Amino acid sequence: MTKGPGTEGSVTERFVTERAILVQNLCGGFADLVLFDDFSFSCAAGRTSVLLGPSGCGKTTLLNLLAGLLAPESGTLLVHGLPAGEARVSYLFQQPRLLPWLTVEQNLDFVLSPDIPRRERQARIREHLRQVSLEDAAGKYPGGLSGGMAQRAAMARAFCFESEALLMDEAFQGLDLPLKFSLIASFQALMTRRPKTTLFVTHDIREALLVGDDIFVLSQPPARIVFSLANPVPRSMRSPDCADFPHLEKDLFEALKPAP
Amino acid sequence: MKVFIKSRRKNYRNYYRNYRKNQGKSHRVFFAGVLAFALLYVVWEAAAGLMGASIILPGPGETFRETLRLISGAGFWYSLGSTLLRGLAGFAVSFVLGLAAGFLAGKYPLFAGFIHPYMTIIRSTPLMALILIAIVWFPTEAVPVFAAVLMAFPVVCQNVASGVRAVDPGLVEMARVYRAGKRRLFARLYFPSLAPFLAAGISSGLGLAWRVVVAAEVLSQPLWGIGTGMQEAKMRLETPRVFAWTAAALLLSWLSDFGLSRFSSWKTDGRSL
Repeated sequence: MTKGPGTEGSVTERFVTERAILVQNLCGGFADLVLFDDFSFSCAAGRTSVLLGPSGCGKTTLLNLLAGLLAPESGTLLVHGLPAGEARVSYLFQQPRLLPWLTVEQNLDFVLSPDIPRRERQARIREHLRQVSLEDAAGKYPGGLSGGMAQRAAMARAFCFESEALLMDEAFQGLDLPLKFSLIASFQALMTRRPKTTLFVTHDIREALLVGDDIFVLSQPPARIVFSLANPVPRSMRSPDCADFPHLEKDLFEALKPAP
Repeated sequence: MKVFIKSRRKNYRNYYRNYRKNQGKSHRVFFAGVLAFALLYVVWEAAAGLMGASIILPGPGETFRETLRLISGAGFWYSLGSTLLRGLAGFAVSFVLGLAAGFLAGKYPLFAGFIHPYMTIIRSTPLMALILIAIVWFPTEAVPVFAAVLMAFPVVCQNVASGVRAVDPGLVEMARVYRAGKRRLFARLYFPSLAPFLAAGISSGLGLAWRVVVAAEVLSQPLWGIGTGMQEAKMRLETPRVFAWTAAALLLSWLSDFGLSRFSSWKTDGRSL
């Protein structure tokens, strides 16, 4: 059978769409702890996938592997078809990790290529700050921001950076509930405007349901996917008091419970 | 209309300036300083009055007059200039060496372990022993410079090493993920985190350099120098003149401190922010 160039292109395209982030036969861990033993996992392009798992199950390590900050013992890690470390990814860390001596706008400018003309950079920065309602804080230093504002700035930075995918590491932790929800709302607004393949890791069931389009539950190490769920509630309908959430929460809670 | 992106440099300065302002320098603190000077003056005056002999302890007034006489006298500016140049030259050399060694020591623990004994030896050897040995080895003019290099080096080195170690690894990770180029990484991450440590190193290293240079001049007796003048005055039992030379040395290090604080508004207490 001969394959035309068009067919091959579409096969690759479909492959990337369904497995925008692909982890295959991953092995690795730290000195006295095997985190991954032949672990495989993938998530779809343009969707927000949530990895829900207990503390210490290797969620952050997986993100660091995908960002190319760590190298695996063996296995394949691809982001939009490119090996981890080569693919450009945005990373929203647990802490905002803003440069304290740069203003908010300069922090965003930090991730924009200097090859982009200055005017264009400024326009893009302004646009992103507006979307997280930080336009008034553009000239402030991170030290003068509240925790929520700092995380918002970090979020604007993550979307400002041109990238294949977005990795989020419990980015809403340590904030009080109303702040958390408003931050999640900002995130959804940014996602609607410019969808990015997103992998979000958390141990918070409620957060997973609010943010995730697909939810995967991880086991204790060595990691396995023990349960997966496509969120039946569309993005625009999700709110903390959503009627479908209680029974979904129960399912996820059952799945999270360590096996006896 | 707001200026959107201002010059980077100015903003670091503002950042550290605000930081210092918030450290709380109020009028009261300034007043406490004035009070300290007043107390020093009174005690000094009283002690000099009790002694009644300027050969043992000249009073503040006499010291001041003698200092004026010294300044207007021939050769004073030569001496001051020579000491200044020696201090600056010595410090410049130890700054370059300390920067290189401190960078390596901060980055590689093995190198830090390697130079640690040398640092300890330099720091615990009595300064006078060092100067006496240097007099044997070097021409008179070079002795103060050599002593300053040797003494200021560990100070700079240690500050740079702690600065390198204090760079937040989380920020370095962030910069790696967001593909910051080498130049940007240095200009916006490494240099600003290092800056307070560099400033602390420069300030204490230079302060040390002045004292070492004057001490070395006293022993090695170059043609011109504050230390040379001090030693000559002492030999002739002109105690007020010794005090006047001391005042000149103080003036020198105050001037350098003042210059530094003007030059580097990012001088903080070396805390990472």
